[in-house]
Amino acid sequence: MTGLWRRLLEVFRGRQLDREAVEELAHHVDLLVARKVAAGLDETEARRQALIEVGSIQSAREQIAERRTGFALDQVGREAVYAARVLRRSPGITLLSIITMGAGIGASVILFALVNAVVLRPLPYPDSDRLVRIFDTNAQAGIDRAGVATGNLDDWRARTTLFDGIAGYFAMGRTLTVGPNSEVLITAQVTQDFFSLMRVTPILGEAFSIDEVRRAQYSSAAAPTGADPVVIVARSVWQQQFGGDPGIIGRTVMLERRPFRVVGVMPDGFAVPDRGVQLWIPWDVSGVRPRDQHYLGGIARLKPGASLTQAQDQLNGVAATLGLEHGPTNRGWGVHLSPLAVETVGDTGTVLWVLLASVGLVLLVACANVALLSLMRGLDRSEETAVRLALGASAGRLVREFFLESVLLSGLGGLLGVAIAAAGLRILPRLTSDLPRIDEVVFDYRAAAFVAAVTALSALLSGLPQAWRRTRVAPIAGLAGGSQRMTGGAGRHFLRDSIVVAQVALAVVLLAASGLLVRSFLHLRGTDPGFDPRGVLVAPIFLDSQAYSSGDRTRAYYRMLFERLSAIPGVSAVGGATTVPTSPLGPDFERPVWPEGAAPDSAQRLPASVRMVTPGYFPALGLRVVDGRAIDDRDLPASPRVVMVNETLARRLWPGQRVVGQQLVVDYSTAGTYPYEVIGIVGDVRFRGPRSAPPPEIYLPHAQRSYLILNVVLRTTGDPRALIPAVRGVLKDVDPQKPAHGMYALEDLVGATYARDRQAMVTLLVFAGTAIFLAVLSVYGVLSQRVRERSREIGIRMAMGAGTPKVIAWVVRAGLRLVVAGMLIGLLAAWMLSGTLEGLLFGVAPRDALTAVVVVAVLAVVGVLATLVPSWRATRIDPVVILRRG
Amino acid sequence: MDKIDLLILRTLALAPLHGYGIGQRIEQTSGGVLRITLGALYPALNRLERTGLVKGSWALSDSNRRARYYALTPTGRRRLSSGQKAWERSVAAMIRVLRAEAK
Repeated sequence: MTGLWRRLLEVFRGRQLDREAVEELAHHVDLLVARKVAAGLDETEARRQALIEVGSIQSAREQIAERRTGFALDQVGREAVYAARVLRRSPGITLLSIITMGAGIGASVILFALVNAVVLRPLPYPDSDRLVRIFDTNAQAGIDRAGVATGNLDDWRARTTLFDGIAGYFAMGRTLTVGPNSEVLITAQVTQDFFSLMRVTPILGEAFSIDEVRRAQYSSAAAPTGADPVVIVARSVWQQQFGGDPGIIGRTVMLERRPFRVVGVMPDGFAVPDRGVQLWIPWDVSGVRPRDQHYLGGIARLKPGASLTQAQDQLNGVAATLGLEHGPTNRGWGVHLSPLAVETVGDTGTVLWVLLASVGLVLLVACANVALLSLMRGLDRSEETAVRLALGASAGRLVREFFLESVLLSGLGGLLGVAIAAAGLRILPRLTSDLPRIDEVVFDYRAAAFVAAVTALSALLSGLPQAWRRTRVAPIAGLAGGSQRMTGGAGRHFLRDSIVVAQVALAVVLLAASGLLVRSFLHLRGTDPGFDPRGVLVAPIFLDSQAYSSGDRTRAYYRMLFERLSAIPGVSAVGGATTVPTSPLGPDFERPVWPEGAAPDSAQRLPASVRMVTPGYFPALGLRVVDGRAIDDRDLPASPRVVMVNETLARRLWPGQRVVGQQLVVDYSTAGTYPYEVIGIVGDVRFRGPRSAPPPEIYLPHAQRSYLILNVVLRTTGDPRALIPAVRGVLKDVDPQKPAHGMYALEDLVGATYARDRQAMVTLLVFAGTAIFLAVLSVYGVLSQRVRERSREIGIRMAMGAGTPKVIAWVVRAGLRLVVAGMLIGLLAAWMLSGTLEGLLFGVAPRDALTAVVVVAVLAVVGVLATLVPSWRATRIDPVVILRRG
Repeated sequence: MDKIDLLILRTLALAPLHGYGIGQRIEQTSGGVLRITLGALYPALNRLERTGLVKGSWALSDSNRRARYYALTPTGRRRLSSGQKAWERSVAAMIRVLRAEAK
């Protein structure tokens, strides 16, 4: 204890101790001089001799000083300067090290920032960990996730105790007209507790009052029927459509040709139900409502202390009671609760974690490279080191110096990395706009801590091998080596080789992972979606019940629209459907269906996704009609009710039977339950992207069930995007107040369903490529050095008659030994780790033999490439020169 | 124990001395055979002080200058006697070996 105390004191007394040491030594020298003067020398000569005799007074002082604790602190500054000088002496290697380090750190920081924003940071709502999404489930009907039914919401709120609010919402496009401009904005109808449970208050005005919610009734076609309807707008709408008007509160705007009073402006970043929503209107769902139409988004806040399971159990209890009270509609239905954060991020979190882990591996490879570079530089400096050790420099000091070198390298690399990350994070949103929460990516304290940690770790990892080896140089051996060009010792080789092998192994792990993702991506691309997205333009149209109150008017509008659109040059087919594959817009809902005559409880009652389509939809989308006929112009409002089913539904309901001509009952609840004649079978469509299995589907003629929402699809032989101006013109002509809500090439929408797979694949490929490149660089570097070291031996062998092939074989063997060792270790590691990729893969097993074969092939090629130049150099060694020098 | 440490301790057992004095005394006593360089002396003194075998303190010298005098501590005295015995044993052993004649 006293020892520690004294050490602490010494840190502060350092200056005085140093002065005392000087004084003591000066006293000594003076006495020495005095003696020499007494012996007859003159003063100057005596002092000169004394100093020589004394030897390096400085060295003695240093040795005394070095034992003090505070010394390290005084000394670090001086040693850092020395380290910087050393680094400047080999600018090429230094620059390469800094860039390698910087790229590694930069990429890590970018990925960390993403993981941080998307996964780690809580959602930007107060106590967001208490927010959950609610889904209806029905195990009997095989539905694991459906929307919430409006009719149950009030009962849930009244009969549960573990929630601080339960709300529902439903989003659709509505036309906002401000002055001469009309624009379709995604509008969420939200029920009573919505804003209070989100705990986000408008930046202007207020959230809906109870009164405003109570008045907010809508007709079946979503037109407001209550007095004084109100709306809350997003900040972006306030800025763009209203020019940031400070007096916007109380202003009346036209929404679907109806006046709405603006009562609030929501801040940026309020993305509930999702990022696209720009308007919110209240919605009263009290009173008698259908309990069997599952289309609401459900959201709730758990009471403090209530666990997700408790809340789910309680709500399931209520659901079971409702099942008894309202048998026909509620029997079998339960709920599933899931944290809002999980639902918002989806499985992107997994991808990001995998990528962060991968970039960590790349960083390790980069550190190994820097370590190797400094080892090699250290080897070049072994003479210097040996001399300094012989002259009495302590091993500790040398180790410190080499760590300072790597600290400097990593520090500069870290700075470069931060610059790279800052630039990368700026352009990233443009590259991956579909990443959830991408707009929340910031460089916060956690990212800063990460940078510091990563940089420190890099310094440690890249400095460790060098420092470790430093202490093992015997002064005499090192000196002798200087004059005799002796080869590096076996231990030295082992360290260097181990680093290279580790690098190759890490690179193999990354290569194997990216190989799996490539295979998976090819599978995704190769999956038949059931339709042909090439050359298809989608224009979502939302008609309003105000102007299109009857089916006749709706049909008239669409008939006119289709006629005009077909006349656009290059358009080969025009059709429409309530929802189109991979498009997020339009009602995608399910209704129970069964073959006529099936018992009410029979397993033949299935929920089927319902599409209302026009005759042109089939050729426009390239759907296959497998059997029977497609919906066509014969299917008019007054004609017999007809339906088309998809292959999945046909297989489930009528396995092995003739399907066309069967009668299918569709339970339309409030709109009636009737049998429909099946007129044809449509090929299965992977509606939500290639990963999704086709659900049972029915197609109804739009003419017989006219929806106001229709996704209009146009097929063209050219680039569908080129049609956009013409389509916009036609829309304006037919009804200036009904623009489309954006227009998309279907290809882009389909592409978006595997955009994440592509990004993950490309990113991992880049990582793997970088790692392989760095590893190969190391193999090359180590081999070159070995050839240089062994040039004498090679020269002698050549003089003794070893031919070029033998020399090349020697080098290639040395190189391939490293590559093969790394490959085996890497494949083993990849084999053990591959399970973590399972969630990302499609159609490929995590332990895919073909991928392993490709990895081996790639490594064989790059391995041989890495040995080429060193081999060539080895053959250029001139035995005569070598022998003469030796 | 190092040879130089033992020499210093032995020298200080007679009287406290400053660094120069220690060097002088050893040189004189050994008849000029053992000369201790400054680079060896002061680190050794520092080490001995650190391990508590000697204690240094500033005092005025004969020539009225401030000088650092080192004195043996009780621990140092104990270490000296054990070190001296060990050293003498090993020297005696050395001598016996060196003088051994073939029989």
